[in-house]
Amino acid sequence: MTAGSDGTPMKKHILIVDDEANIRDLLEEFLTHNGFRVTTVPSAYEAQQTVKRDAPNLIISDLQLEDSDGLDMIEQLKSTLPKTPMVLLTGVLFDPKVVRETLSKKVSCYLEKTSSLARILHEVQRLLAV
Amino acid sequence: MKDQTISRILIFFLFISAVLVYVAYESVRNIDRSMASSDWVNHTHEVILEVNGVLSSVRAGDSAVHTYVITGDPASKAVCHEAFGVLGGRLDSGELGEHLQVAEADTRNEPAQHDEILRLIGLAGKRADFARALLAAHQSGDTGSVRSLLAADEGAEANREIQNLVRKVTSEEMALLADRDQASYLQADNTRKTVWSGVVIDFLLLGGVAWLIRDDIATRRRAAAALRESNEQLEARVLARTADLASANEKLLAENLERRWGNQALEHQLRYNHLIVNSISDLVFVLTKAMNISRINPAVVHQTGFEAEELINRPFSSVVQLLDDNPGADALLLNPGPPLAAVVPMIGGIMGSEGPLIDPLTHALSEGRDLRDLPAIVEDRRGRKTAASLTLFPLRDRDKVVGGVAILQVAQEKA
Repeated sequence: MTAGSDGTPMKKHILIVDDEANIRDLLEEFLTHNGFRVTTVPSAYEAQQTVKRDAPNLIISDLQLEDSDGLDMIEQLKSTLPKTPMVLLTGVLFDPKVVRETLSKKVSCYLEKTSSLARILHEVQRLLAV
Repeated sequence: MKDQTISRILIFFLFISAVLVYVAYESVRNIDRSMASSDWVNHTHEVILEVNGVLSSVRAGDSAVHTYVITGDPASKAVCHEAFGVLGGRLDSGELGEHLQVAEADTRNEPAQHDEILRLIGLAGKRADFARALLAAHQSGDTGSVRSLLAADEGAEANREIQNLVRKVTSEEMALLADRDQASYLQADNTRKTVWSGVVIDFLLLGGVAWLIRDDIATRRRAAAALRESNEQLEARVLARTADLASANEKLLAENLERRWGNQALEHQLRYNHLIVNSISDLVFVLTKAMNISRINPAVVHQTGFEAEELINRPFSSVVQLLDDNPGADALLLNPGPPLAAVVPMIGGIMGSEGPLIDPLTHALSEGRDLRDLPAIVEDRRGRKTAASLTLFPLRDRDKVVGGVAILQVAQEKA
């Protein structure tokens, strides 16, 4: 973990993309409480803008966004941030075979919105190696 | 404990002060006594000196008057005058008189000695009277009188008597002096003992005070150490308790977040499922095992004109009937079971006459089997009937059929 200008360790930056405000707020509260710096946006367009301005260490995105498909957005962001872990967090329940054979090639991690926060945190920490 | 120690120390200091006052009082009193003794010693020595002076003056006067009578030497006459003071005819004008006056004054407060001094005055006075008479006879040239006076004189005897009296007075005064010296010594010794005893007692009391102060300081140190230890333990308990509370709070916060997340996930999932069902353009009926309607999608409302609250808990047959001209209804079952009449009693419906045709659906649900593409009719609020293709799926919850989902694809409307 790198240090900030005041010597304190810099927090990992996580970008959350979801069209539902209550999900964004809950995830932001939870991840901030667990020591991360969190930015939340409701659309793919704002996600692109945020990435250009303040590149995140990890991106968590919903599948269905206001202006795009979460998987499409992830594909586009990969060109800018090829090494940044991308997590797909969605309420659409995929068949395990689909997850294994399709989604796992596109995202670093697939999580259902019915997953517990503890599970989400575990995956975030695993991907960020913290 | 603090007040008790101070009280004890005050009591000790009161004792010390009392001892000091007593020692000072006794010392001053003994000093006064010593000074009085010293005055008295001087006084006694003076009495002894004066009575011996009387003896000397008498002897000197006697000797001088005899010498003058024999030789006519004026010096002897002067000596006689000096000793007896006879020029003026008064005893107190010579040395003898002075000695007697002083001795008489010194012994005025001592009756025994005073009596002896008075006796001495009498004896000395006689010797002075004799000397004056002898001098007067000699000056007048009356040698006969001189001879007769000298012949009658008992000077030696008188002088011995005076000498004895002087010795007696001297001896008595010396004895008193010895007694008073002894008393003075005892007073000095008493003073010394009093002072030393006072000093020792005061030092002992001061030692007691020092011990009390030391004991009090030690007690206070022990109390301070105990208090410090107690504070440290309390602080440790507070820290541990604070850590426990922080941990509990952290856990509570995490649980709260988790619960809120679970609720929203559930709500999201439910809304998403509704969205899926409501988005289907076919007519979807969710049925209970008794073939009552428990849920419909908006396409049903649109097709039948009934609102959802009008259809919920109503028999499915009140809206949908299988066609009775369907050849071999049993043959439509994907997995034929027992004869319909034997399995399910007729369920009456609003439409009445078409009631028995619903039996294949009930039969399929009771056995948990699917029915597909059965010809049916849907009747709307105004009684219009529309042909449709009905498919029924059993709803399974943990391998148990709890109801069914009927989907109708509307083919055409009938007037």
